Amino acid sequence: MLWKDKYELGVLLIDTQHKELFKRVEAFLQTLRSSASWDEKVQKVNETLEFMKSYVVEHFHDEEVYQKSIGYPNYEEHKKIHKEMVDYVLQVSDEYERSGFNEQLMQQFAGKLLAWLINHVASEDQRIASYAIEKGVAGDE
Amino acid sequence: MSNEGFYGSFLEATRNVFQLMLDLSDISDCPAESFSCDEELDISIGVIGDLKGEVIYRFPHETSLHMVNIMSGMEVDSVDEFVTSAISEIANIISGNVLTILAEKDYKCDILPPVKYEADDSKEYAMREAYCISTSVGNVCLDVRLNNVS
Repeated sequence: MLWKDKYELGVLLIDTQHKELFKRVEAFLQTLRSSASWDEKVQKVNETLEFMKSYVVEHFHDEEVYQKSIGYPNYEEHKKIHKEMVDYVLQVSDEYERSGFNEQLMQQFAGKLLAWLINHVASEDQRIASYAIEKGVAGDE
Repeated sequence: MSNEGFYGSFLEATRNVFQLMLDLSDISDCPAESFSCDEELDISIGVIGDLKGEVIYRFPHETSLHMVNIMSGMEVDSVDEFVTSAISEIANIISGNVLTILAEKDYKCDILPPVKYEADDSKEYAMREAYCISTSVGNVCLDVRLNNVS
């Protein structure tokens, strides 16, 4: 299981979305890394990818709203990191479609996504929680 | 800053990232000469700004597979595009952390996207050091090649 309890921020909405995001990435990886042939799994990979893309955007938006609501000082910087990831996802997705669903592209994307997500949630997002605790605004909104 | 200062920055960043992302806490440095492996994945991260050059992260295949296994919870048995990309991103994250540490010491630098290293010994570097980091999933070697621009 990708999710670890140490990733929890203590904000119900964000923690619930993080868990869901990890669940979806895990499902994406399981499909992508299964021993089935590419022809057999490409449709499911594409469906999972589309589902995940929209969820990433929705989650980033909700997290930014939360950061703003607590006056998180690194809001702009964090938003920039989110935007760069969304741009990357869209760029790869576009290239993937234009390539006629090239498997290697998706394998590369999945590797980066896995490491990026773990680092982002375990490191960048934890700073939001530290700030909220320090300012006494932690907990559910 | 002394070479030891740079060394400390890389060791600190690697230790932080490995602990945070891989739950590896038993990390120590060891002589670069002790690094040896049959097959390795070499990732280069270009550095620009006050310092210019590159850092080459040398991951033995076995270590790479262990690291991706820890992150994904899945068995991986070959260093393919998926593993290469995940390990490249870890090298990218470590380098990003090093930049933050260097910025606190008034060095303004940026990094370029990770690429597979292709041997090029034609360039000369004022600062060239190799460091080996020992972990429970194997050793990783960092080959730092930088010139001071400012």
